[in-house]
Amino acid sequence: MAVVSNTQVIFDNLYGIFTDLAIVVGVIVFALMGYLIIRYRATRSSSDPEDTPRLGRIPTSRGHGRNVLITVTLSTFLLAVLIITSFAAVDTLFPNNPPNATWCYGIAAYNQTQVAGQSCPRLDVTGHQFYWVFRYPNNHTDLNLFRVPANSTVVLDVTSADVFHDFGIIQFKIKTDAIQGRTNTIWFIPYKTGNYTIQCFELCGTGHVGMIATLDVMPVPDFQLWYTSAK
Amino acid sequence: MSQEIFPPRIRRWLFTTNHKEVGILYLVTSLFFFIAAGLLALTMRTQLSVPNNNVLNEGLYNQFVTVHGLLMIFWVLSPFAFGFANYIIPLQIGARDLAFPRLNAMSYWFYLFSGVAIIMSFIFGAPDLGWTLYSPQTSFQFTPTIGLNVGAAALILITVSITMSSVNFLVTMFKMRAPGMKLRNMPVFPWAILVTIFMMLYAFPSFLAAVLLLYVDRSFGTFYFSSIQGGALLWDNVFWFFGHPEVYIVLFPAIGLIADVIPTFTRRPLYGSKYVIASMIAAAIISFIVWGHHMFVTGIGLTSTKLYTVTTIAVSLPFDVMVIAMIETLIKARIKLKAAALFALGAIALFVIGGITGVYLASVALDHALRGTYFVVAHFHYIMVGGSIMGLIAGLYYWFPKITGRMYNEAIARIHFVISFIGFNILYFPMFLLLDMPRRIQTYAPDTGWGSLNSLATLGGFIFGGAQILLFLNLFLSQRRGPPSGPNPWDGWTLEWSLPSPVPAHDFDTIPTIAEDGTYRFGNGSSYPNGSARLDDSKVGNGLAYSHLEGMSPWPIVMAFAAFLFFLGLSIGQPTSPTPVSYKPFWPLIADGSILGVISLYGYSRERFSVHEETRVESWPFREVPNVKLGIWTFLGAEVIFFGVLIGAYFFVRTNSATWPAVGELFSIRNGFAMTLVLLTSSLTAIMALASAKIGSRRGLIAGLLATFGLGASFLYIKATEWIELGTHGVFSVANGLPATSYFITTGTHGVHVVAGMCMTVYLLANTLKGRYTKGDHDAIEHFGLYWHFVDIVWVFLFPLFYLI
Repeated sequence: MAVVSNTQVIFDNLYGIFTDLAIVVGVIVFALMGYLIIRYRATRSSSDPEDTPRLGRIPTSRGHGRNVLITVTLSTFLLAVLIITSFAAVDTLFPNNPPNATWCYGIAAYNQTQVAGQSCPRLDVTGHQFYWVFRYPNNHTDLNLFRVPANSTVVLDVTSADVFHDFGIIQFKIKTDAIQGRTNTIWFIPYKTGNYTIQCFELCGTGHVGMIATLDVMPVPDFQLWYTSAK
Repeated sequence: MSQEIFPPRIRRWLFTTNHKEVGILYLVTSLFFFIAAGLLALTMRTQLSVPNNNVLNEGLYNQFVTVHGLLMIFWVLSPFAFGFANYIIPLQIGARDLAFPRLNAMSYWFYLFSGVAIIMSFIFGAPDLGWTLYSPQTSFQFTPTIGLNVGAAALILITVSITMSSVNFLVTMFKMRAPGMKLRNMPVFPWAILVTIFMMLYAFPSFLAAVLLLYVDRSFGTFYFSSIQGGALLWDNVFWFFGHPEVYIVLFPAIGLIADVIPTFTRRPLYGSKYVIASMIAAAIISFIVWGHHMFVTGIGLTSTKLYTVTTIAVSLPFDVMVIAMIETLIKARIKLKAAALFALGAIALFVIGGITGVYLASVALDHALRGTYFVVAHFHYIMVGGSIMGLIAGLYYWFPKITGRMYNEAIARIHFVISFIGFNILYFPMFLLLDMPRRIQTYAPDTGWGSLNSLATLGGFIFGGAQILLFLNLFLSQRRGPPSGPNPWDGWTLEWSLPSPVPAHDFDTIPTIAEDGTYRFGNGSSYPNGSARLDDSKVGNGLAYSHLEGMSPWPIVMAFAAFLFFLGLSIGQPTSPTPVSYKPFWPLIADGSILGVISLYGYSRERFSVHEETRVESWPFREVPNVKLGIWTFLGAEVIFFGVLIGAYFFVRTNSATWPAVGELFSIRNGFAMTLVLLTSSLTAIMALASAKIGSRRGLIAGLLATFGLGASFLYIKATEWIELGTHGVFSVANGLPATSYFITTGTHGVHVVAGMCMTVYLLANTLKGRYTKGDHDAIEHFGLYWHFVDIVWVFLFPLFYLI
């Protein structure tokens, strides 16, 4: 699969780890179940085991705590791997201050020279019934079209003007809720130029299905040209 | 009320209080709703089968998606399971019925009428914002249709039904087990129901509080969910605090059922049954601290999300133990693959897939991509359809012979399983691969590439849905013409198999006794050591037997209908103009409902109805606690959560508000202090009343009750002046925002509780004048006291919260 953004890479890696483990566990469980069902299927010649539960008597309790302990311990190890890898991923996705890539949006205009220690300016994204409004650092606003330069850190402050929306960039595997009165911050670095789909992921009324915007990842020179002329 | 106007066949079903008939009513009704909700789903699948489709317009699609979810979760999964619980559990624990048979019938009728209400909501424009009913879209501004009011009313009614039901089952299972039937001797199914009830008792009050606040917001223009300070996150917290336990509430009965079906058909005892039960309890407890995983992307903070990731992933461990125990049961077994066993094993397999994919969603990092997508839809359908519905269908085949006395067609049942299982996976597995597609969208563009997987899912949907025709045909025809099944067709060990099929109205001729060594005997001295039950219909009728037409009451259905009318009247009013912030209720229906409610309450309390009050098992901590008292304690436990949520909501909006009136600015501390004093004194007079009743002093009892009533009235008087003063001077109307909203709602709810308590004192006074309660029969006074003290204690919390800080 094509690499389109840093968030997509993080997701694909983590999803891969989860899926590998899921397949291993799933195959073991289903193979075991299938084997046992075939192996111990009742036949005409077979007779009931000695401890078959019978009417008139509470069945004797069986089972070793040891086996339960082994099961739980093994699972805990597996789950610990998933927790640790998840935490690593989420720490990258949601640091307090997103790292600056080679470039990021400037206050007055897009600039290449980043000031050490200074965080990227943020863009405002506001969900409305049923469209998205993007406000750039130079106060230019766009409706349902969001232009960003490739290979730059893009930091978004997402909120809603009315009901509960959810801002998701499908191919970038990233989303956050858009809630009135709250601001949720996400960031990403787009790697590949082209158009991507932004869609609302929370049912927000009749019109929700059309609450789609386009993310246009532009080559840096093209973006600069557009941004300096946009007002 | 003359019941005889109805012919016996109809009377039997309308007025029954017998646990088996109520159970059958639950089962049939839930299957009806299952078909209804399933048809909604098939219509949606048809709409989604190809891109840019428009057989179902978006407005209607959103209504379908919402009502489908609500119906399946509230009106299908739990009632389906509780149909079995009603029929089977009293048999399995050796009780004669549930502790409160009329209350049980009332639970059913509340359930039925609430279902009628939710389906009726389509007339007015059904709720259309997803079953999670997210704020602030639920507020009047965004959803002015009264269909949502009707939907909310339906949810209130079913919550009432569930609360009554859980109190009933809890008392039954703690107090009415057969002698020697220790809790640990119970099969897994009753255990699962017991754990489910506890979750219901602590989860549903939160939901009830949430829906009530929503209802009040919409009806009276208050601001809990329409304000920014409350709004989305307040609803999210309160709803999901209920919502995650709810997932296990609909799952556990099926797991318990599977855990009993598998040993029967593998001919081996469940491996590690005590660990299975311990795991259920553990999962139930953890389920109350994982709700944040539904809010990973709401912005609750990195640390919180990490904590919720850990708790959510940890909750998979107990389920791990349950699944492994079922698989280990197969070792050295003799597996008979009857339909019930196939569905049970199939349910486990599908549950495993649902569980594994649940771990994906527990990871906050993955959730940032997967939230709100078809991956989520696939996951929870593997749990709720794959685990719950398939498991409950296993129960349907398993207990069908017991309930009808006839066998179904095994070959058709097995074909039903094969087609269902294959159809299920064709339906839901493609949705895992649709992990980019938003859920709850009516259509999608062709260039998304989602078309082929959706077509496949729709095909699977029709295969799965079509397969259920086999189930219904098989069961319908078999209950008429199937060969007689005999008492124990599966050679099962649990007590219900010792009874004839169908089970006679009175259940047991003699109640079983379980000896120390685990063998059980019946009162007549016989025992059934090796599986062939010797009871049959011909032997029934040793004086204990009674017909299905005994023990009937018309009041449960009347009372449920009254509540239905009342809430319908509240819901379908016209919006007030010119500024439509609230509704004018439809008074005629409210009046009808109220009058009918009062009549039925009167009839209910006057009716001579003997309950089989046979407390048999003494188990700590309920030793010497009579049924009614335990019921009240349990109910008060639910009330604690209810008020806890109201107070929590108050804290939530207050901490989120930049400004709040200073102490003493609005509420006079003197007033508050006076009310506290009055109410605390009334607790003392309630104690005096009980003490007088105990020593047989009628005058003392009357004085105590009168004083309690008077003090309650004084409290309400001061409260009312305060309300009027704040309200009429306009400085503090609801329109002023959250301080007023929280004050009026919280103290108002408490006030309603005070009024209810005063009504009880009137009832008690009337009976006292007739000479009751002073001859050692003072239970009712004691029960009233419990309730009254609780109401007072709530005020002890409200006073400092509203007046002093």
